Amino acid sequence: MSHIVTIQTEVRDAEALGLACRRLELGEPVHETVPLFSREVTGYAVRLPDWRYPVVFDVEQGQVRYDNFEGRWGRPTHLNRLLQSYCVEKCRLEARRKGHSVLENRLSDGSIKLTIQIGEGQ
Amino acid sequence: MKTIEIIISTNGQSRLETRGFTGSHCRDASRFLEGALGKVSSEQLTAEYHQSIQHQPNQLKQEN
Repeated sequence: MSHIVTIQTEVRDAEALGLACRRLELGEPVHETVPLFSREVTGYAVRLPDWRYPVVFDVEQGQVRYDNFEGRWGRPTHLNRLLQSYCVEKCRLEARRKGHSVLENRLSDGSIKLTIQIGEGQ
Repeated sequence: MKTIEIIISTNGQSRLETRGFTGSHCRDASRFLEGALGKVSSEQLTAEYHQSIQHQPNQLKQEN
């Protein structure tokens, strides 16, 4: 029996977020209160390239807050790439905790394929 | 070989597929990832699952 599941990523792990930032050569996420255009928000702030305001991750709520003025103050591509890297690092962390090995391949459309090999008896 | 294959798209959405499992073990095996990654937006059983269901009555007939 096999099944296919589609998952919308929620950033809830500060360690995986830090690893994702390192993978993309961004600065370490810092837990702080930062101003966006019209409000202050608290969480793990990440400075994306050429973004006017940081992106702030509330890992308790699994929410991301930012103000990029519909792309004029920051290209969504950078945030999407960070979410993709977070997902990769989170999978790797969880697989490692279970003792599984992980193979990683980048596909031609920019997607990343992870193959987790489950050990015998599991 | 039992594997979990995950395709992570350029916007961070992921598609997880289990392979090589029997019975409900695939769900058990992938649960740790599904819960860790975020919200499950859809789930479907693969052809492999449906084939195994269809073959069962035939196998029983042969045994009788």
